[in-house]
Amino acid sequence: MSASTDSHDHPKWLQHHFDTPEQQFDAAKLGMWIFLAQELLFFSGLFVAYAVFRNWYPEAFAAGSHELNRPMGAANTTVLLFSSLTAALAVRSSQLGKKDETSGWIGATILCACIFLVVKYFEYHAKFEHGLLPGSFYGTPRDMLSFQKLEGHHSVASELPPHTHVFFSLYFVMTGVHAIHIIVGIGIWLWILKRNLRGDFSTRYFTPVDTTALYWHLVDLVWIYLFPMMYLIDYVPPGHKG
Amino acid sequence: MATTKHDHEHAHHGHAHDEDDGEVHAHVGTYKTYITVFFALLFFTALTVGISYVHLGRANLAVAVIIASIKAALVCVMFMHLKDDKRFNSLILVAAITFIGVFFALTVNDTSYRTKLDTQSGARTDLRGGNDAPGSWENPVPVEPAPAEHH
Repeated sequence: MSASTDSHDHPKWLQHHFDTPEQQFDAAKLGMWIFLAQELLFFSGLFVAYAVFRNWYPEAFAAGSHELNRPMGAANTTVLLFSSLTAALAVRSSQLGKKDETSGWIGATILCACIFLVVKYFEYHAKFEHGLLPGSFYGTPRDMLSFQKLEGHHSVASELPPHTHVFFSLYFVMTGVHAIHIIVGIGIWLWILKRNLRGDFSTRYFTPVDTTALYWHLVDLVWIYLFPMMYLIDYVPPGHKG
Repeated sequence: MATTKHDHEHAHHGHAHDEDDGEVHAHVGTYKTYITVFFALLFFTALTVGISYVHLGRANLAVAVIIASIKAALVCVMFMHLKDDKRFNSLILVAAITFIGVFFALTVNDTSYRTKLDTQSGARTDLRGGNDAPGSWENPVPVEPAPAEHH
């Protein structure tokens, strides 16, 4: 097998079970889209749970939403949208064989991802300190690092409507699972950056950059829905039927 | 379409545009396109933040989801290249969205109308948890406390 892999017709990056670069490219993209469909179905369970509970407890969801930091949420949305732009531009420069540009755009994407996580850390920290925690932890102010109870700290939770803990359960699970996707994405981008620097990619073979960007755009897609659904709930006064 | 002039940039410039040469012929978007899409996404983000301050009542969620879906469509079509991709990849996305719709519709239909079932069928149904399924007694016999053991 190894004798033929370096021939013109079958370059090193072309797996032996594919006839042509095009066939390998199409198969890889198809596989990635099937994975992304699975990701959407996976997240849809959380979004359906959100719909059910928001339908049941509209006041609690409005009150919980108003405890979130809108400027931070909006800033993170902008950062993530920008990272999608840089990911798309990384694919573009890789398609054109511009190796250094590709590294730059991948680096910018990773930087945006890190900024997103830092902002998320500060948001989580504020919620922990105010006792705005999921499920049975709700109402007990805690220090995020040591997870010790913060004695004497005022709990905002006690002034909020009943069932607001449900909103924060969904908030932490949904943004938490999203953040895990960001962390995984940083890992994959670092690997792709290493491969790009090593010279693995060319105008004939840029598939890994393309599929990684597809994954990254999906992480952006999920946040596009999470941001308004978590941060931007309008207050509905009790008894007021919109 | 053979007479259409090739005004699109393609990767792999070194070869003639022979679609059957087995090479990857991915469409290369322009900087202008990508940056325009980015600013459109920013515009819709600002729009959704602005509209959230308008009291729309129950339409708040619907409007937020519609704007988010416009943004999502921009990302899928432009950034994720569905516009120039094999159509089958779009079909996979549409299939996923369809089944999410079924999942959503059936679940919300159940959980939203539990008390309405109550009035129509005479069944006693707990609003939040649905502890008593439809079909239970309208006036259930109160459960007698177990008689104290007689000594």
